[in-house]
Amino acid sequence: MQLDHLHIEHFRNLSRVELTPGPRFNVLTGPNGQGKTNLLEAIYTLGSVKSLRAQRNAELIQWEQERALIEGEISREAHRRQARIEIGATGKRVVLNGTLVRSIQDYFGTLSAVVFSPDDLGMLKGGPSERRRFLDRAVFNTRAGYLADVQAYESVLRQRNAVLKSPSPSAGLLEVYDEQLADYGASITQRRLEYLRDFFPIFRRAFRGIFTLEGEVEASESAQIAETLALGYGASWWSPSPVSVSGELEVPSLEALRTGLGGALRRGAREDMRRGTTCSGPHRDDLHLAFLEREVRSFASQGQLRAIVLAMKIAEIQVLTERLRFTPVLLLDDVSSELDRDRNRLLFELLKRHPGQVFITTTHRDFIQLEGEDVRSWSVRQGALEPR
Amino acid sequence: MAHQDPIARLVSQLARLPGIGEKTANRLAFHIIKEPAAFAQELSEALLGVKERIGLCTTCCNLTETDPCWICQSEKRDSSVICVVEGTPDLMAIERTGEFMGRYHVLHGVLRPLEGVGPDEIRVRELVQRLSKPEQGVREVIVATNPNTDGETTALYIARLLRPFEVKVTRIASGIPIGGDLEYTDRVTLGRALLGRREI
Ligand SMILES: Nc1ncnc2c1ncn2[C@@H]1O[C@H](COP(=O)(O)OP(=O)(O)OP(=O)(O)O)[C@@H](O)[C@H]1O
Ligand SMILES: [Mg+2]
Ligand SMILES: [Zn+2]
Repeated sequence: MQLDHLHIEHFRNLSRVELTPGPRFNVLTGPNGQGKTNLLEAIYTLGSVKSLRAQRNAELIQWEQERALIEGEISREAHRRQARIEIGATGKRVVLNGTLVRSIQDYFGTLSAVVFSPDDLGMLKGGPSERRRFLDRAVFNTRAGYLADVQAYESVLRQRNAVLKSPSPSAGLLEVYDEQLADYGASITQRRLEYLRDFFPIFRRAFRGIFTLEGEVEASESAQIAETLALGYGASWWSPSPVSVSGELEVPSLEALRTGLGGALRRGAREDMRRGTTCSGPHRDDLHLAFLEREVRSFASQGQLRAIVLAMKIAEIQVLTERLRFTPVLLLDDVSSELDRDRNRLLFELLKRHPGQVFITTTHRDFIQLEGEDVRSWSVRQGALEPR
Repeated sequence: MAHQDPIARLVSQLARLPGIGEKTANRLAFHIIKEPAAFAQELSEALLGVKERIGLCTTCCNLTETDPCWICQSEKRDSSVICVVEGTPDLMAIERTGEFMGRYHVLHGVLRPLEGVGPDEIRVRELVQRLSKPEQGVREVIVATNPNTDGETTALYIARLLRPFEVKVTRIASGIPIGGDLEYTDRVTLGRALLGRREI
């Protein structure tokens, strides 16, 4: 899959952009605050309709402007598609090949993009929300209905929390919200677990490959270490927790998950009222990762943690490629500046083997160890692009 | 207030209307200023008339000039089925389908605690009172709130409130795009949705 042409108007600081990317590497260079991330965000938004960073549509529109526009020509083998997203302060309009898209499901898969940013690199050291974000984005790319479920869940959660904070919470209303949260939450959890089940063996392979490439250990040894790799999905409302996804995972039924979450919400209602917020559910769940029987976040070195994240991202791309049967577009936001030399070399080794289209931003062109005719370069200054 | 510039006053009042931003409010205000005085006269009388003459039907809470409203008065309607809608525009949308011959109940909103709309802020109590009179002979309540999360919450809440009564509570079946406003749904979809309802 590839983006053949991109046209942007008034998206963040990008007043007007006309870009014809190449089929392989597209490098965007510029000092801080010039619009590099904004450009990747525009591509991501064109693919997912949901934005990368913004909470509200208004943030995406250039200041003093009424609407933003992102338009792309996308090709997948012989198929060519015209996608267009108009962003107004109160909503988005999506047009595919000249027809207004009514349900987001009909748009799904038009442009599948995987983002990799410095935030991801910190994922294993950071809080649970960063690991959930990784998981959610990965699942979202593979499942058409997932985003709708997550949005519904979040909307119900906000309403339930408002009831919890009110002076005299209505018990009947809380029960209704519990029922809805249990419904959407069960579906979200089941999809996450199904994803992790498919993800794990591919992740283990990538993990082994990276440790071998890293040159720290022999191939046979890295294979042994990889055997000890363990991934778990932690859910306070489910037993046992974490759910191990390393072995043969039997994904629980929707009914079982619904009952489990519903029960936890009911039992936690009093405590939730005291705290004014909902304490159990997929919005609080987490990923646990260990090898050699130890939790990575507490013992792995900074460099190792980053190598593991690299393996996770590679596995994410491979799972997606297998699922979609074509390669997604890669968006790498300033990742090189966060990696040391050896790991950068590793990253570019891997990228050269990745067959699809890649967009890379950087503050310094010499961070990017890519040369040759399949590399196109632009500089980004104050929201404008220029070939270089 | 008395010293506020009359144009600014008009603009700020118009901007309070849903879907009207500052820019549109300005455009409307200057349009009104340009028109002959008779237009402003007619418009202001129409506005006041609506507030003076339109009230809620004491039976179904529909907006009406007469009490009870024309639907509650009609002899041809099937009193054993009540269709619960969010607002009068939804009622009108269903009426246009010609598929429904029962009676209505208008909630004037859906539950959104985040915006301060709880059970006391919409007309659910009136619905319960209506059902507690057995002589009404209601056998089924169809909840036709919009198929989004708040509409669903409201439907489930109503189903819970009506549990003590011997009525069947059904939810309008989907067939309507998720997040779509009933008001803008085409007649075919809506008609089909009404025919294939499920129990909650
Ligand atoms: N809605 C908006 N309208 C106009 N400008 C905006 C808007 N939102 C963000 N900006 C501007 O965009 C700029 C940030 O752009 P971006 O995040 O793409 O920078 P960057 O090139 O990725 O920089 P860095 O190298 O620091 O990551 C800031 O100067 C910010 O003020
Ligand atoms: Mg940036
Ligand atoms: Zn009436």
